[in-house]
Amino acid sequence: MISVRGLTKSYGDVRAVDDLSFDVKAGKVTGFLGPNGAGKSTTMRMIMGLDRPTAGTATIDGRRYADLAAPLTEVGALLDAGAMHPGRSGRAHLRIGARTNGIPQSRVEEVIDQVGLESAAGRRIKGYSLGMRQRLGIAAALLGDPQVLLFDEPVNGLDLDGVRWIRALLRGFADEGRTVLVSSHLMSEMQLIADRVVIIGRGRLIADADINEVLRGLGGARVRVRTPQADDLHRALDGHAAVERTTSDELEITGLPAAEIGDLAHSLGVPVHHLAEVEQSLEHAYLSLTDDSVDYHGQTPDPAHEPVANGAAR
Amino acid sequence: MSTAIVLARTSRAEWSRIWSVRSSWILTAVTAVAVIGIGSLIGHDAAGDPSGVPAEASGWDGGQQTAMFALFGILALAAVTSTADHATGGIVPTLQWTPRRGVLLVARIGVSVATATLLGLLLVAAASVMVRAFLPRVGLPLAEGAEVLGGLAFVFATGALLAAGLGLTLRSTAGALVTVIALVLVLPFFLAQLPYDWSLDLATIMPGSGALFLIFGEGPSDDMTTASARLTLAAWAVGALLMGGWRLIRSDANR
Repeated sequence: MISVRGLTKSYGDVRAVDDLSFDVKAGKVTGFLGPNGAGKSTTMRMIMGLDRPTAGTATIDGRRYADLAAPLTEVGALLDAGAMHPGRSGRAHLRIGARTNGIPQSRVEEVIDQVGLESAAGRRIKGYSLGMRQRLGIAAALLGDPQVLLFDEPVNGLDLDGVRWIRALLRGFADEGRTVLVSSHLMSEMQLIADRVVIIGRGRLIADADINEVLRGLGGARVRVRTPQADDLHRALDGHAAVERTTSDELEITGLPAAEIGDLAHSLGVPVHHLAEVEQSLEHAYLSLTDDSVDYHGQTPDPAHEPVANGAAR
Repeated sequence: MSTAIVLARTSRAEWSRIWSVRSSWILTAVTAVAVIGIGSLIGHDAAGDPSGVPAEASGWDGGQQTAMFALFGILALAAVTSTADHATGGIVPTLQWTPRRGVLLVARIGVSVATATLLGLLLVAAASVMVRAFLPRVGLPLAEGAEVLGGLAFVFATGALLAAGLGLTLRSTAGALVTVIALVLVLPFFLAQLPYDWSLDLATIMPGSGALFLIFGEGPSDDMTTASARLTLAAWAVGALLMGGWRLIRSDANR
């Protein structure tokens, strides 16, 4: 299990990670989400002992990563696929990793096969695509067959086959009882992979919950009701729950379970044509949770004010 | 698991790190060509005018003349090997694999300095053999060889330590190379040329002056002795090591 307690990292006046606490439990894939600059990578680097926390602790099965004698046999991590000596071959890179942790060199060939880099392992890393570097980084993480795995944006640069492979790999690890923490900005991917999500914004914890709980709105489950007597039901619900009129015959209710709403409608004699809990996509849930925590906003060009090249016909 | 085992594994990995990239081989080859080539030229020139060679001269005397070139190769190799990880981002996997930074520091400095020093000694020995090959009348007495190589080992080791320490401090190959060349080659000569007492004093405590004195027996000041030259070199090497070690152990693993 990974335990993060009061983790804080400051760069001068900037607080990249601010009093962050969460646990990553074994047997689950935990997604680590947050906008750009939220502090995800910094947090992972502090867990791995690469960056020194300003305050707080990060432990893996009760021990600091920096105290591990053969860390690859306990923790595997892919943090930055570009962070490798480009002049070294993929195989040499892995052999050095194996050597530092007393792992047999035969294991190097096994992980090369596992990640599908057989034909490229002898080439220098500078000739690798981003996807190949990702695979090499994953191979390094798997060298010691560890029980704890951390992946920072593992599907970056991977083709569809690679994405499906990493998805199955992470799920397989969690099903074997291993601890898996994976960050990604691809919400659709996270929705498919993660059992639990930790969401941070501006270095602070926003949510730490089961993914289904997040999809249902983190305790604020919404229920959609379609009825020809929407006004009557709306009046009856006033004061008991938050009600939003979405169309003339449809209400969205937050704060009451679907069963109670159905019972209330039945007691009032209001006919119900549709009654269901609203499951939002992770993307919607994420956006609503992190809306106030986005540091870097892009702007969509306004077509009305888009510059038109001289003489260009539209 | 004992620290000794972790250190042994890390040292083996450091050795692999050095020799699994082309830059180390190229630097070694260039240094070898320069040192052995100059040794050959010295021998060739001496063979062309043997009357100018003292009767008591040996091949080691000629080989020692190449030591400054060997030293530059050593400084470059130590600077490149100590900065490669930070310059390329390789420090991220390195510290993931060896998170005990003290162990990494000892292994990195130890292997880098030992490799560079041994390389320098081998090349000077090879240059001495080349001198003798051109002028067979000069011998290669083992006792004298041990004395010459022993003295050079100190110069090479402290030079490599200085370069590696600066490399770990600056985390930039170009920065480390420029700084170490400035300290060893440029500043001692430049300061010694200035017409001030303070600049001469400063030149005397430059690492390049210490190296020059220990190799050729000459320095910018007549006050220099073998002991003072050794002390100068050792102080610079230890100072650089302390700075580099502090940076590696205490700072974030950034490029």
